Amino acid sequence: MRDLLRWLFGLSEKNIQTSSEIARQRLRLVLIQDRVELAPDMMQQMKQEILEVVSRYMVVEEDFVEFEVRRLEDLVMLVSNIEVKDVSVLMAAPAQ
Amino acid sequence: MTGKTIVITSGKGGVGKTTTTANIGAGLAMRGHSVVVIDTDIGLRNLDVIMGLENRIVYDLVNVIEGKCRIRQAMIQDKQGLELYLIPAAQTRDKDSIEPAQLRELCAELEQDYDYVLIDCPAGIERGFKNATAAAQEAIIVTTPEVASIRDADRVVGLLEASELHRPRLIINRISADMVRRGDMMSQKDVESLLAIEVIGLVPADERTISAANRGVPVVHDGRSTAGAAFHRIAARIDGEEVPMVDIAPRPGMFNKLRDMVSMKGRAYSHA
Repeated sequence: MRDLLRWLFGLSEKNIQTSSEIARQRLRLVLIQDRVELAPDMMQQMKQEILEVVSRYMVVEEDFVEFEVRRLEDLVMLVSNIEVKDVSVLMAAPAQ
Repeated sequence: MTGKTIVITSGKGGVGKTTTTANIGAGLAMRGHSVVVIDTDIGLRNLDVIMGLENRIVYDLVNVIEGKCRIRQAMIQDKQGLELYLIPAAQTRDKDSIEPAQLRELCAELEQDYDYVLIDCPAGIERGFKNATAAAQEAIIVTTPEVASIRDADRVVGLLEASELHRPRLIINRISADMVRRGDMMSQKDVESLLAIEVIGLVPADERTISAANRGVPVVHDGRSTAGAAFHRIAARIDGEEVPMVDIAPRPGMFNKLRDMVSMKGRAYSHA
């Protein structure tokens, strides 16, 4: 019944989205990206802290660490690539 | 007396900073305060024409700063005889003609004798913006409910924060109730939640604002203007009065709902 009504009115999910909803959604993502880009010091600090944590468990190549805030369709992702050189620390750790 | 200096800024041009400055200035003066408005858009002055004072300019802001005249000589009183004065921008100079510290010094001096000093900030985030914001203790950001101006407003919030102007307040200008109801304009709530700063006023789009500018009489003097009424409420809030926010696009009644449903059919095509 609902599908029939939809069909009658020519409204699929996508069509229902108003231009103000589209604007709000686009802006939400743009503002996240802008804010991240405009706070390089904070990003650097975060990168440092994440590396510290990872280094507790693995030996990583500090020269090959990438942090990037990337836009994927309707998501903003923090993407990171860290080269792992050794995991013997994990082996040495006593089993919990 | 110790007055207060407030900068009116936006980042993006054309969102209504100058009109807002003129109307808040007049609104505060109509509440019995003494007010000085300063146009810091050196090279592109406009506050003079919005206030209808363009024929009375003898000295300007740069003249005052360079010591070519006394402050009083550059102050032009409002046409309606309010305790409202304009210090116009120089038209033939550029933004580098003044230093942030010089404007701060000028405002500090004005604060001794006047209740409010309002600074009309130029668009952009370069020198003119730095001059204008350095002089103020408080900031008001003007935006329209559009993606470009909201994005720029967010950038300005960050810059103000960096220059120690905390807790700026927001004016959402030119809201069209019809468009919000149709879903073709972001609502005050949408803008508020995106920018996450305190809203001090909502100004409806009103043709009377344009006719007022044509005449050079700020729209707060037009008793029939909805925008004028909104600016009066903003002036009152700046003045510390508790004035409830007026919902510019209230939920439609049954009739309007039906009308909107009918018009929705047409809109479906635009996203197909």
